[in-house]
Parts: sequence; C-alpha cells; structure tokens
Amino acid sequence: MSTLKRVQQWATFARIWHIYDATWQNPFKSAELLKKFLMGVHKPIYHPMNDCGDHVVIINSADIALPGDEWKKRAYFHHTGYPGGASWTLAWDLHRKDATMILKKAIYNSMDGNLQRRYTMQRLHIFPDANVPKHLLENVSNQIRQLRPVPKRLDKYNLEEVKTFPKLIDYPKDYIIR
Amino acid sequence: MVFTTAVNFVRSRGPDEFWRKRRIFKLAAHFVGRKRNCYSIAIRYVHRALRYATKGRILKKIDMRNLWQTRIVAGCMEHDIDYNVFRESLYRSDILLDRKTLANLAAWEPYTFKALTDIAKRRAIDDGLASINNQHEVDRIITKGSLVKT
Repeated sequence: MSTLKRVQQWATFARIWHIYDATWQNPFKSAELLKKFLMGVHKPIYHPMNDCGDHVVIINSADIALPGDEWKKRAYFHHTGYPGGASWTLAWDLHRKDATMILKKAIYNSMDGNLQRRYTMQRLHIFPDANVPKHLLENVSNQIRQLRPVPKRLDKYNLEEVKTFPKLIDYPKDYIIR
Repeated sequence: MVFTTAVNFVRSRGPDEFWRKRRIFKLAAHFVGRKRNCYSIAIRYVHRALRYATKGRILKKIDMRNLWQTRIVAGCMEHDIDYNVFRESLYRSDILLDRKTLANLAAWEPYTFKALTDIAKRRAIDDGLASINNQHEVDRIITKGSLVKT
C-alpha cells in the first residue's frame, strides 16, 4: 500500500468532531439532524456494521427552544423499579434540574433501539453553556449549520439603531397601544 | 420390486433412507445441538430454514437498495443538493444510472460523483427545479437545456 493510499484510508475512516450551537433550536428537529452525524449516515461509506460515526459537541443546550407549549405539556417518565416508583417530570422541570437532559433524550429516542445505540451516544458531548473543556474543543474541525438562524432580540439593539430603523407610519400622539 | 399390498407401496418411497436423510443432514450441518443430529428434529428446522431462505432472497434485495439509497443521500448531502432533485436532474440529462452504480461512485469515485452532482445542479438551475446554493460554482458546466435558452 502506497503512502498516499494509506493516508487516504486514515482520512476516510478518521472520526471527525463536529460542533453544534443549540441556541434557540428545536431539540427534536436537531436530534434528527445530529443523529446522522453520530451514526455516520452522512458518509457515503456508511454501513450498519461499519463503525464510522463522528463525535458531536453540542454547546448552549440550556438555551434550546421547545415548540408551542411543550415546556408545560411534555412529560418525561421515570420508574425506580419499586412499587409506586413511577414519576412524571414536565419538560420545564427536567430542564431546570439538568439542562442537557432534554437534548440527550431527544437524540437517544430518535435512534433505533439496537446494541449500537449506547456506544453511539458515547460520542455525543453536551454542554449547557459555551464552556467546553480544551481537550475536546481542540479536536473540533467542523461546525454544523443551525436549523434556523438565531434572530437578534429587540433589547439587544442599541437605542440608536432602533430609532433609525425605517418604519411605515408614526402612531398618532393620542393613539393607545394595547 | 413387487408390491403385494398398497400399504407396502406407500411405505417404499423415494431413494434409500440413508441418502434421503443425508441430504437433510447436510443442510442441517451448521445447526447447534440435536437439530443437526436427530432426523425428526432436523427436518423441522431445515424446513423452517428453507422458508427463511426464500424470504431472505427478497429481503436482501430490499436491504441493499435501502443501503444504496442511504449512501447516495449522504453523497448528495456532501455536495449540498437534495436527493430527489439530484435524481430528477440526472434523468432529465439522460444520465440513466441506477442506485447501485451511484452508490458505488459516491463511495469509491468521489470526484466522478461530484461531477454528476455538478451536472445535476446545472440542470436543476436551468429547469428551475430547486434553489441551488453557490450557483457560481457550476457556471462552467453547459447542458443541452442551457444551450437552448441562451
């Protein structure tokens, strides 16, 4: 095997580290996207028995955005195994306890339940904020595009920009905005 | 052989018992336990195995097709083009390649596959099939459709 072929082989099967910013992203839609990278479905060499999945580092998981009233309605079930040990935790409560849990469960549930799933999950690294350990961050070589762009909030614009923003009409002085 | 009664005629069927059983035992050779040694048990499991084999011949084709599909979708994702747009554009460009060929190209001949996606993108732009990102990258490619238009 020539040197070129050998290096080509390494490059083909090397694990790539991706980073994904979860700020204001739907965790369930994101899970469908990220599981492809974790399982290696995004590579043309994919095969179910070919261990070609990549690592994914997710940052800012505390800032995910659930659609609709899912924060109040979505319940996560847990059973201790003892009689009467069932408990249902609402999404907002789970997120308060552990800000990485909703994303982790969303990705775990988006994959088929087979023997490979637990090992695939080990290649996932979730952080509630942007503080990623240096030894993980220096591996990262690709950023996954966010599903939806994060809009800039009105209170983040300075007063000058808000004043000079073009508008259609000025409200009359005596107009009451409800 | 002369059969004096119908009962004896029924009992004497097929080839010699040893060879008849041997044919079954050969098929059961890789089974585990009494399934491979005892005839009456072996025959049941051989029948079942043959039924599975019949189903498997169809399932294998379906599985391979799904695998090729997954690989082509992955290749399309690398080059930022939708799978359906890619296939439709290739069809319109008279490039009639099947899933097996496209998957092999995506895995083993990535530059050839990129050329195919470029042609597909050009065709998609010319026919207005879908919005293609980075359109300037396929400016150098000319298809029959773009010649007619200009």
